[in-house]
Amino acid sequence: MNKTAEVVIIGGGISGTSIAYNLAKKGVKDVVVVEKAYLASGATGRCGAGVRMQWGTERNCKLAKMSIEFYENANEELKYERDIEFNQGGYLLVAGTEKEDEQFKKNVKLQNSLGIPSVYLTPKEAKEIIPHMDESKIIGGTFCPKDGHLNPFHTTEAFAKAAKRLGVEFMTFTQVIGIETQGNKIKGVHTDRGYISTPIVVNAAGAHSKEIGKMVNIDIPIYSQRHQILVTEPVDPIQKPMYMGFSLNIYCQQTPHGSFIMGRGDDNEPKDLRVTSSWQFMEEMARTCSELLPLLSKLNIIRQWAGLYTMTADAQPIYGGVKELEGFYLAVGFSGHGFMLGPATGLLISEMILGETNTIDISDLDIYRFERGELVLEPSVV
Amino acid sequence: MLIKTGIPTKEDIKGIVPSKERREKGPVAIIECFQEIPCNPCYTACKFGAIKEFENINQRPIIDFQLCTGCGQCLTKCPGLAIFIIDESYSDTEALVQIPYEFLPLPKEGIFVTGLNREGKPICRAKVVKVKQGKGENKTSVITLKVPIEYSMEVRFLNIEDYFSDNTIICRCEGITLGEIKNLIKEGYETIDEIKRISRAGMGPCQGRTCRHLLLQEIAKETGQNMKNMPMSTFRPPIKPINIGIIAGGEDDE
Repeated sequence: MNKTAEVVIIGGGISGTSIAYNLAKKGVKDVVVVEKAYLASGATGRCGAGVRMQWGTERNCKLAKMSIEFYENANEELKYERDIEFNQGGYLLVAGTEKEDEQFKKNVKLQNSLGIPSVYLTPKEAKEIIPHMDESKIIGGTFCPKDGHLNPFHTTEAFAKAAKRLGVEFMTFTQVIGIETQGNKIKGVHTDRGYISTPIVVNAAGAHSKEIGKMVNIDIPIYSQRHQILVTEPVDPIQKPMYMGFSLNIYCQQTPHGSFIMGRGDDNEPKDLRVTSSWQFMEEMARTCSELLPLLSKLNIIRQWAGLYTMTADAQPIYGGVKELEGFYLAVGFSGHGFMLGPATGLLISEMILGETNTIDISDLDIYRFERGELVLEPSVV
Repeated sequence: MLIKTGIPTKEDIKGIVPSKERREKGPVAIIECFQEIPCNPCYTACKFGAIKEFENINQRPIIDFQLCTGCGQCLTKCPGLAIFIIDESYSDTEALVQIPYEFLPLPKEGIFVTGLNREGKPICRAKVVKVKQGKGENKTSVITLKVPIEYSMEVRFLNIEDYFSDNTIICRCEGITLGEIKNLIKEGYETIDEIKRISRAGMGPCQGRTCRHLLLQEIAKETGQNMKNMPMSTFRPPIKPINIGIIAGGEDDE
């Protein structure tokens, strides 16, 4: 079954569906999204689902703020018949070291200068926001009431359904097996369900985006790493904001459903495409949680799972085209925060494809920044 | 093995089924009597000579489907409750199945019940269109069920509960009903993973122990797939809910 498209997007996660929606909204006909499994089956559907404006680099702050402002009205904008379950309970970021505390104070200044309403808190003030925390374990914290969380499956569905209404075609359970080029131009995409002739390909394949790059001999400087997460039984609402620490290595949030979702990073996690679960994670997570949020040690763990961060050297995404191949765009390397940047990704990449001026200048988030050595490291990643 | 399980095999059934043409013509008796026993009330009940005279009392009944009018006299007389009247002429999509019933209470006409197959497994929703209360010596009542036509040769008993109602809870942890699942499948969510993520079915404390098979069965039914070839949702640790404090090692199990 062969067909023709103006744009083929590889990957049906938050980035791919958001790019598709934005392109269609701007009047692009014949957009096809190719997804290996079902929508949100990769990192999007496996993520912690939190969204925050409290970042350490100006770029991430701006991208996140734009996305959160979109999420505030997403049900209406996307005319979603269900609910993306967006809940702005805030994020409490906690500092575990003096150095981190200093960084947080700097971050708040940066964030405030960009219109982000974050505040610095003493441990005592932090405890007023989450009473069941052990405040002796923290040096200080910052809080932004605009941060929150939403349901990644429903959010992806909301983008996809809105895109479908505008004529976008979704090919799920379809795998890309090759990309046809001629000279320095894209000709089409080979899938296991036929060939799609197209001049433009967007690589939004998450953990698999490096493989997609290899298909056209472009080495994208990213790697995938497993991150694990667990969820507890549901209980009455007791914690409104996300509790998150970088040096303390935890994020923990109560969902609208009542369950607690929590995760942590681990340098020893495999750097490949495995999404199996480990008992080490459950044990480490249980210890971290019991120490910092003692009350939660009474909860039962229901399930654990894993997903893949696609990491770049500066923990910021790679956006834009490549010199070697006309019509090949990247929306990759989100380093664990692709879900929260989804709305911005969609808008900015669609602007790039259509040759419009970007709403936010992201020219320095190109793939060549690593060669130039102009890296601004994002310090705030779990 | 009928002799061990009481359930006739496919071969057993093949030997007693009238042709499709005959079934589509109108009501006909299906005699599911597979064992030679000294019993012949079906023969004496038949006023049309459709059930042949027994050469000896142990013989299994032989029926001439062309002579059978589907009157149902034999059905109420069979002490083994082995005779059913099938009417596939009812409509293009539905058939009537008359079933001998000796339980109380009798179902009320007009309600929905669950059609059971020869193994007693629930297979479809069925409407009770007629209840003929038993009279005479053996007081066998006759329940007429309306079933999807593909189940006319499968439904052989009923459970008075309506398992296949849209209100039936499929996922008990999250309270997701059959009706909700059916709507999601209609909307295009055709894998168990998608249904799980969009509805939370299977995400509760039991981790889908009961519902994941029911979900798969329902998807198979609605999409015409074979359950054996369909992907199951991932089994994730821990198998049973386990206390964070115990895993952390800081608390005793109370």
